Amino acid sequence: MSGGGRSRCPDCGCAELVEDSHYAQSQLVCADCGCVVSEGLLTTTFADEGHLQEVTYSRSTGESEQVSRSQQRGLRRVRDLCRVLQLPSTFEDTAVSYYQRAFQHPGLHAARLQKKEVLVGCCVLVTCRQHNWPLTMGTICALLYANLELFSGTYLQIVKVLGLDVPALSLADLVKTYCSSFKLFQASPSVSVKFVEDKEKMVSRTLQLVELASETWLVTGRHPVPVITAAAYLAWRSLQPGGRLTCSLSRFCKLAGVDLPHPAYLRVQELLDILLRMAGQLAWLRILNLDKQTVVKHIGDLLQHRCILLRQAFRDEAEEEEGDEQQQEEGEEAGSSTLEMPEKKRPASSPPPLLPPCMLRPPKRPCPTPADSRVTGEEDISDSEIEQYLRTPREIKDFQRAQAASQAGTSAPITS
Amino acid sequence: MPYDSYLHMSSNQETFASHLDPSKESSTDVSSVDLSFLPDELNQENTEQTLTEGKQGVERNHEIQGDPSRLQSVSEKNSNGICTDNFNLSNSGSNPLPTENSTLPSPENSSSSFFPLTSMTPLMPVTPVSESSGIVPQLQNIVSTVNLACKLDLKKIALHAKNAEYNPKRFAAVIMRIREPRTTALIFSSGKMVCTGAKSEELSRLAARKFARVVQKLGFPARFLDFKIQNMVGSCDVRFPIRLESLVLTHQQFSSYEPELFPGLIYRMVKPRIVLLIFVSGKVVLTGAKERSEIYEAFENIYPILKSFKKA
Repeated sequence: MSGGGRSRCPDCGCAELVEDSHYAQSQLVCADCGCVVSEGLLTTTFADEGHLQEVTYSRSTGESEQVSRSQQRGLRRVRDLCRVLQLPSTFEDTAVSYYQRAFQHPGLHAARLQKKEVLVGCCVLVTCRQHNWPLTMGTICALLYANLELFSGTYLQIVKVLGLDVPALSLADLVKTYCSSFKLFQASPSVSVKFVEDKEKMVSRTLQLVELASETWLVTGRHPVPVITAAAYLAWRSLQPGGRLTCSLSRFCKLAGVDLPHPAYLRVQELLDILLRMAGQLAWLRILNLDKQTVVKHIGDLLQHRCILLRQAFRDEAEEEEGDEQQQEEGEEAGSSTLEMPEKKRPASSPPPLLPPCMLRPPKRPCPTPADSRVTGEEDISDSEIEQYLRTPREIKDFQRAQAASQAGTSAPITS
Repeated sequence: MPYDSYLHMSSNQETFASHLDPSKESSTDVSSVDLSFLPDELNQENTEQTLTEGKQGVERNHEIQGDPSRLQSVSEKNSNGICTDNFNLSNSGSNPLPTENSTLPSPENSSSSFFPLTSMTPLMPVTPVSESSGIVPQLQNIVSTVNLACKLDLKKIALHAKNAEYNPKRFAAVIMRIREPRTTALIFSSGKMVCTGAKSEELSRLAARKFARVVQKLGFPARFLDFKIQNMVGSCDVRFPIRLESLVLTHQQFSSYEPELFPGLIYRMVKPRIVLLIFVSGKVVLTGAKERSEIYEAFENIYPILKSFKKA
């Protein structure tokens, strides 16, 4: 044990002082010249521990070397969680290292046990995200019996504290995993033959519908899982519309053996709206006057031509604006009629803009008018204005009497 | 709405005696304004003044832009709401000054020669509008603290004041509200007070003074020390949808977008130190500012970034 940071040897001036013991007496000896600097006065925690004297745990050397029981349990839970989720073994090591790093931070070190449990899930989630393994927070919370609020707080904290770069949830992988968990690919007592579907076809069509949804602003800002449920439902129905058109969303989820997230209803409606608009661009579908039920039969065709149909069905505002500006300049110079620019000119029944649903709904209430900016903050305050907030003595007495009566009422037994 | 705010500002600016602190009040900046309608010598004076003016905290290009370039930047249809109509009107032809739609040199540097003009027409000041965005965030909430410097008996306050509620089991402070300005205060027994809900710094100060006056009238020797604005929240709308997934990819080190947790993207800007909540509808909430200029500056910084995500 070197005594770095202590005094220097008075003889040779070297700082290398070694703690040595001459029989039972501890001495501080210079490593170079052997001069005894001091003796019998030295105690360190290590020495104390060696001499079987009491040292507080937090000052002892043991704490930094050993892994505390709570941390050990946490690390074990991380490994267990990785095994339950059937993650590759490399994930386990990464998750364990994140947990250890997180545990060293004072904010998380002294957190309640509940938070440490949730921390286990957060480390696993970060690991999965970084390897593009689609794992939702809902799944982890369900496995840990944790509430999402605590989980979200801990997750955001750990990302900030450890400075982690967490990529976004990959939607395509999530679709594949989620669809694979459906129990629709084999006939069983609960799933009749007409409901059974080929997995590949279903996954690919669901993927196409999810891509369509993300292009048409149905995914941004929304929870990903209900979108996928809605897409899977429509895909499954469209692959064999014959027997499945009448099947409701809740029944589909029961058949598939997955939970029905409530927003899925809205997503289904939004997707059907988009599909109907696209169908309006195909001549042979326009004459059929499709509605939300019948359009499902043609989803295959619509998805096949979705790029062109989207462009035709929805006005892209940004492109329109550029077109208009060019129109203005050209129009001013050439003075030509607008007939020369047929494509840019908006027809009487213009296609609707492609916007997120929240922008298409009318605003709930008008924007409040901003405050009068003539206020300086130093205006006079009239007495009458203040007095309106004060109780008169009579009111005070009434209030006190009412308070006393209510307290007496609550303390007395309730009579009919 | 936004148009109305300009009218309010214009009537405000008419009273040149008002010594509103330029950093607090939405000060005028004519950097992006067309002054061609003014006679030449005034125009000249004006440009010099704006160039020498220093706006606190807001970094902006102080060049006066010519007509065509500004027209283009501002003529984006309805996407920037506020300025379009006004500027178009003021630029159309040679008419002198249609009433609401003209622009005004800044009051603090105006010389007396400008007065005749202003008395003729309510000229409209240009609030911190950058040539790029034309949108001004509206302040929605101001949180401030003040020290009343005397120990308070919360039970007595709750008894004597009509607008106070006090539930010691739930929270150790009196919650008091006043109607004008519509604000709420948390009053602690140590004499410290937090005032929330005001829409501007001056209103927050006025509200805090009213609360202090109520406490005074209840018999406590309340003073008004160390009034400080702790937080300001503003919001605005860029009027176009934003691809949050792409924004988080390109600005990963500042953004946090977890649709499973929250529908908006949380952008932590470093300079100024403001947190922005950006939503897919184009609405932006800015918070964490201690001064109004920080909010404006943060929005001017984020607007070009958002515009680059405008196209789907």
